Amino acid sequence: MGSSVVAFELGEREVEVLVAPLTTLQAVLRTQLGQTSVKDGCRQGGCGSCTVLVDGEPVLSCLLPVEDIAGRRVTTLESLTPVDGLHPVQRAFLERNGFQCGYCTPGMEMLAAAFLKRHPEPSRDEIVDILSGNVCRCTGYEPIVDAIAAAAEAGR
Amino acid sequence: MTVSSYVLPTSVAEAVGLLQAHGSEILVLAGGTVAMPLVNEGVRLPARVMGLRRTGLDGIQTRDGGLRVGATTTLTALAAQDAVPLLATAARRTASWAVRNMATVGGNLFSAPRGGDVATALLALDAVVEATGPAGMRSIELDAFFTGPFTTALAPDELVTAIVVPAAAGATTFVKLGRRQANTPAVVTVAARLVARGGSVTDARLALGSAGPHPVRVAAAEAALVGRSLDDVSIADAAAAATDVAAPLSDAVASDWYRRRMVGVIVRRALEELVPAVAGRVA
Repeated sequence: MGSSVVAFELGEREVEVLVAPLTTLQAVLRTQLGQTSVKDGCRQGGCGSCTVLVDGEPVLSCLLPVEDIAGRRVTTLESLTPVDGLHPVQRAFLERNGFQCGYCTPGMEMLAAAFLKRHPEPSRDEIVDILSGNVCRCTGYEPIVDAIAAAAEAGR
Repeated sequence: MTVSSYVLPTSVAEAVGLLQAHGSEILVLAGGTVAMPLVNEGVRLPARVMGLRRTGLDGIQTRDGGLRVGATTTLTALAAQDAVPLLATAARRTASWAVRNMATVGGNLFSAPRGGDVATALLALDAVVEATGPAGMRSIELDAFFTGPFTTALAPDELVTAIVVPAAAGATTFVKLGRRQANTPAVVTVAARLVARGGSVTDARLALGSAGPHPVRVAAAEAALVGRSLDDVSIADAAAAATDVAAPLSDAVASDWYRRRMVGVIVRRALEELVPAVAGRVA
């Protein structure tokens, strides 16, 4: 009822989806486009596990009607990951054990990738501050901050 | 009930027309950070929804030394402007980066949140809300905008279309007490602006957030400061006046008892930051 077709860019490709009114970008990415990195977390904008980039800016896909981003470019962890390896942020998370259960990891990595692009040499305090919207219930955050600091170091 | 219609009007006139046709039956989204959680959680089950992202209401213009902030300007954009540092600070201290990329200045007034850190800062700046309805645009002093818990002076067919921030004299400060440093709802927020001459306060604005059903200016605290030097005595009087008018609520962040105690403390800390400016020791 009242469904419409929405076209946008997902990574390098054009996608078109048929959606009911007010369907969230999170639901479309995860259930229609197979982007299982985009978690269905709190649905309140409080946990950060659904973080993706729209035109390079981190947003919470659970709060974003997909109709709003027609024609824009969406980046998920799947589209950030090179075909033959890992993004530097992913490699740093792997090397520094920046996860345990992994649920928060895609959101953390999307945010970190966007952040490091703008601030290639962040202080530890800046990393801690920018992660404030992404909740991790396993690690106590220290290995995640370590991983982002290491990714910044590797990028220099 | 599922949403049967989601409309993205491309002009203010179209958006107002939808409000006229559907009144409070249509849920209005700007950034979605307040309304979408209610929809996701099933607290609101609207049949009709409209989104404001294509109305062209975003953008910040400088105007007569002040600002005109379009209603759908994001908190990220507000934090990035440097013409009014108090507003940049208030925006930056609100929520997380991803939320600030979505949340809008107008939405934070329209939805009348209890805390409203940006609204608290705007109160200290004598901001004026531009509301647009079928009869055109009218201005509402922000001080008269919030009328109760989650209610505003807007008519059902009016939208917030901009916030006008006049050029504001004086020194400003913004102190927010939360449960942690970043991305926290406020226990109490204080925004203050003091104009001084010869070491004496000539004009004062003091606004509280999270100390009642909506952000408020505290006239009694302002009156306690005008005509006096800013010292321990006048600051204590202003803090006591603010504590008197505080009518805080209990929630998951803090109890009403703790909030009331903190109103005086945070008012004092905020005003102490302005002592050098009032004494003329800094420009």
